[in-house]
Amino acid sequence: MTTATPATSLPASRTRPRTVVQPVSFGRLVASEWVKIRSLRSTWWTALLAVAFFPLMGAMRASSVSGIADDAPDDWFVGPVYATSGLTLTQLVLSGLAVVVITAEYRTGQIRSTLAAAPTRVPVLLAKLVVVVGLVLATGLVGSLAGWASVAPWFEKLQMTVDLANPDHLRIMLGVPLYLAAMAALAYGIGAILRSSAAGIATVLGLVFVIEPAFAYIPWKPVQDLATLLPSAAGGRLITHDATGSVISGSQGTVLGPWEGYGVLVAWAVAAVVVGAVLLRRRDA
Amino acid sequence: MIEAIGLTKRYGDKTVVDHMDFTVQPGKVTGFLGPNGAGKSTTMRMVVGLDRPSAGSVTVNGKPYAQHRAPLGEVGVLLDAKAVHGGRSAREHLLAQATTHGIGKRRVEEVMELTGLTPVARQRAGRFSLGMGQRLGIAAALLGDPQTLILDEPVNGLDPEGVLWVRTLLRGLATEGRTVFLSSHLMSEMALTADHLIVIGRGRIVADAPVADVVALAGKPAVRVRTPDVRRLAALLATRPGIELASTGTDVLDVTGTTAPEVAALAASAGIVLHELAPVQASLEDAYLQLTGDSVEYRSTAADATTRPVAGAHR
Repeated sequence: MTTATPATSLPASRTRPRTVVQPVSFGRLVASEWVKIRSLRSTWWTALLAVAFFPLMGAMRASSVSGIADDAPDDWFVGPVYATSGLTLTQLVLSGLAVVVITAEYRTGQIRSTLAAAPTRVPVLLAKLVVVVGLVLATGLVGSLAGWASVAPWFEKLQMTVDLANPDHLRIMLGVPLYLAAMAALAYGIGAILRSSAAGIATVLGLVFVIEPAFAYIPWKPVQDLATLLPSAAGGRLITHDATGSVISGSQGTVLGPWEGYGVLVAWAVAAVVVGAVLLRRRDA
Repeated sequence: MIEAIGLTKRYGDKTVVDHMDFTVQPGKVTGFLGPNGAGKSTTMRMVVGLDRPSAGSVTVNGKPYAQHRAPLGEVGVLLDAKAVHGGRSAREHLLAQATTHGIGKRRVEEVMELTGLTPVARQRAGRFSLGMGQRLGIAAALLGDPQTLILDEPVNGLDPEGVLWVRTLLRGLATEGRTVFLSSHLMSEMALTADHLIVIGRGRIVADAPVADVVALAGKPAVRVRTPDVRRLAALLATRPGIELASTGTDVLDVTGTTAPEVAALAASAGIVLHELAPVQASLEDAYLQLTGDSVEYRSTAADATTRPVAGAHR
């Protein structure tokens, strides 16, 4: 690389007006974190992939059941459940993104620049969370709409539909972005605690794909009851249609109502972020 | 202005920074000098609140760093060239930093122009050489047009032209009345850039004085004389009080405690021919090695301290 010749002039404050510097505020931190997340190509690849899973999985599942459509009883097919089939894979990708958004700061050394600009620390952790949650909400919403569009060609044959006037349908369609956002917040909190991409992703995936199913399949009631309170199982209630079950977890428990379950997931996420914030304040960066 | 009082950092039972008291004054360039591992970076990290002191305190412009409402407007920091996400372009990295303080895009362009980054503004920082990374770090430090600059090894990895540029820049900023605090393990670089030196070894301050005074610590100035008649001159000089002689070759004398004109006059009066007569300044390197000699943490046992090729060598 050729080294550029720098200008020889000094930043003489006499020859030009002083640079306007304003106090750090939460809004400015959010704006800065938005600049940071949008300026990475990986963000957009990840979001694209996350959205693409919905039409991909939706069309696959709808076409595979269309062969047995005539044998199935009425009301067997629930539109939103098919439209949101891509959720499991999307969750994987977006939780990974949420972990890396914070752990990459440590891996690259960017955290030192970040904390030099925001030395009170916790506000910048929350500003980044706001940006991540916003991005995941938008991605989830676009994804579930894309999923809806992709299964629409089979609606007639499968005698199903997505009807936003139906409270269950509306809950699932909006529940998908809400669920993804809460899971992303949990993953982000875990990333903030562990400060390592590998450890963070392994923990999140291990929790969702190993620990939760393991609990759910142990045929002993106390364990099964406990399993319904684990993050993904609890939050998954929001997107579960009681007739067909959840696409997201092995737990069939209906101990918690949809919004109660979602509340439990949000509580997990808040707990993880709070622990991450306490550690961020305490530890050397 | 930076003020440290009893500043201490321990990791387990290892004390990296040991009760440091110092003040970095505005209007001059203060060099922070010490061998690798002496505690320079840890001290600087504590100044800007990245590391929490185990004891003591440090303030910048009168307040702990974290209590400034617009820290980038008070203090510019370059802690290492790689405090950047490699996937982001130089411009976007600076824009993200600027946005936290409501600093406009114009200033971002300005600091890129100033540091010579404009041609590579859109390139991803991960592809930058160490020298370009340093320029980006310096650009970030200048964003808020701060009164105080804290730079950890800013010339590390720069080409000679870049080194010269940083030197000019820092001297200019100090002339404007700003506080400039920079660390280095390169004494020769400090000799050219700094007005004042804080020398540390093993976490303790071993010298805190103007550059000239630090050099003086290395010993009295000496005169080197080359003459074919060493014996006669030595006998003559030995009669004078306060003079010490050392012979470093068959025709060379190192004379301490007098000046070149005096030696010349003495030799002329006795008719002794001199081939060479030169005052020998103790170098900053000598002073540095003398000051930190017993506090260098990593040293190859074979190398004698006086032959260590420290100066000018890049890490």
